Amino acid sequence: MELINLAVKAIFIENMVLAFFLGMCSFLALSKKVETATGLGFAVIFVLGITCPMNWFIHEFLLKPEALAWTHIDALAGLDLSFLNFICFIAVIASLVQLVEMTLDRFFPALYNALGIFLPLITVNCSILGGSLFMVEREYGFTESLVFGLSAGFGFFLAIVGLAAIRNKLRYSNIPPGLRGLGITFILTGLMAIGFLCFAGIQLD
Amino acid sequence: MPKDDTRIILFAAIVCVICSLVLSATAAVLRKRQDENAETDRKMNVLQAFGIEVRNEKGKKLLSAEEVEDYFVEYISEVVLEAESGEIIPDLTSKNLSRTELKEKTRLPLYLWSENGNVVKYAFPISGRGLWSTVHGYLALDKDLATVVGVTFYKHGETPGLGAECSEPWFMSQFAGKKLWGDGDLLPFEVVKNGVPSKYPDGCDYCVDGITAATITSNGIMKFIRSDMNAYNKYFVTIRGS
Amino acid sequence: MSKTKAIILDPLSDNNPITIQVLGICSALAVTVKMETAIVMCVALTFVLTLSNTVISLLRTVIPSQIRMIVEMSVIASLVVLTDQVLKAFLYDISTQLSVFVGLIITNCIVMGRAEAFALQNPPYLSFLDGLGNALGYSAVLIIVATIREILGTGTWYGLPVLPEAYIGNGLATLAPGAFIIVGLIIWVQRTIIKKFEDS
Repeated sequence: MELINLAVKAIFIENMVLAFFLGMCSFLALSKKVETATGLGFAVIFVLGITCPMNWFIHEFLLKPEALAWTHIDALAGLDLSFLNFICFIAVIASLVQLVEMTLDRFFPALYNALGIFLPLITVNCSILGGSLFMVEREYGFTESLVFGLSAGFGFFLAIVGLAAIRNKLRYSNIPPGLRGLGITFILTGLMAIGFLCFAGIQLD
Repeated sequence: MPKDDTRIILFAAIVCVICSLVLSATAAVLRKRQDENAETDRKMNVLQAFGIEVRNEKGKKLLSAEEVEDYFVEYISEVVLEAESGEIIPDLTSKNLSRTELKEKTRLPLYLWSENGNVVKYAFPISGRGLWSTVHGYLALDKDLATVVGVTFYKHGETPGLGAECSEPWFMSQFAGKKLWGDGDLLPFEVVKNGVPSKYPDGCDYCVDGITAATITSNGIMKFIRSDMNAYNKYFVTIRGS
Repeated sequence: MSKTKAIILDPLSDNNPITIQVLGICSALAVTVKMETAIVMCVALTFVLTLSNTVISLLRTVIPSQIRMIVEMSVIASLVVLTDQVLKAFLYDISTQLSVFVGLIITNCIVMGRAEAFALQNPPYLSFLDGLGNALGYSAVLIIVATIREILGTGTWYGLPVLPEAYIGNGLATLAPGAFIIVGLIIWVQRTIIKKFEDS
């Protein structure tokens, strides 16, 4: 039950893009066509769903205060290595994205070509690192971090595909020159965010 | 291995070593200050439960780190209780407790406010599941160990405007004067949906108004206050009335 | 001389990292609810950007190309961790309010973007200036957005009351949607002024 709460919260109420502004760069750049948006969305779900639990392991057994107690070496047991969080997480993310890239290139070349440059760009997508950082801040357990990763990714997917669909419809509208492109995208995202705000009143019993 | 690969690995190794050294040095040097900051923050929350005004309405701090420390030196002492037996474990304070012990509540910290050699107020940390997050707070009791002096909820991830109202002054101030113990037993503390008058038109000593449209957060708070009071009560019964 | 001047001044408006280059949007929206947090973020980013540009520029001839990105990430991540540690030690309250967003400077596209686009091809002094210029451009936008959001949202500016007590406060400005719309409008105004339009 609590996991469902967590999932709903991560997808709708605390949507990575629309509530926390994470992942904006690729969100704005790649929402012009629905196909690329969908591809990026799936990639984000996959990467978030894996990096969150992986980083949980590293944080739990290596980095957090007193994490190294399992080694039964006294000198290590009291260590607090949490200041290495950022570096370790981003290293895990970069490595995973590199692995995914190589796997896709070898076994699914069509998909690899379709995603193109966007795959390596996922490494610097704020929402991936943000997901891991939130997981640490909110002290999630293993299942919770898995559910959170997948749900947050799905929330990103919903937002980017939604925006791409709207921009698609607007393609032939008469937008003032200064607003074209980035300006109108921001305003659209703002309106989408208002829509998602309505979910804030949900209570699951 | 071709020369290129050796060069790459060597370069990577050097970068790693330099980064690690710089970061570890910084962390080591600054660790003490950071811990002090976190500690002062925590102590301010304890003071707030005891009824000292630590922040104004805008959330700005009213006390400096030294003033917080002065309060603690002058009035407040700390003990730790064994949860199973309800007995004091000598020579321990909350600083000696590990995160696991705190999280699983196997050992319970207790703060005592003394004036003129007598303990007049007690405070202890309370925490439990809200709707979206764990709500953390402190609850302070009067020397009869029955009447609430004050409560504060300082950390949570509840919805702004709904569950997050639990850390607003209007909600927390209701607790002052309410009773958790009476007639020789724990009273069934209640956070009443739709407000106390709707269920208890003649008033209720052990009830507070719930938060509108935030039933799960309100129920969560009710549950963990009851269970935490129950846990600390093992010790309280041994000293009550003495 | 005019080249260095251009490096610093261009990013303020003509080549602004946020509104024209479309980088670093995430934090521009997240920390601009109050001036206080926005200013700290600006200082933090200036520190990280100038130093990372300089360091990467100094290393540009020796970095093996195969590990280029990961070395850049290491440098940037180390600088950010340093900043975070210093904040936790000296500005504890603000660091709790900024929470994860200081860490997110690592993935702030501006830092990585300028490293790739400028620092790798230019000498250290110019790279330092480029970092400084982009940081100033970023700060300018952040300050404008934060000013609007704080005044509209709570009637204060840097905590000092600006609007009369009777002003209840526009909650929308402090929430996510307000931020998006305000930035969208700023972009509209800026692009119309400098006449740099996108093809639809």
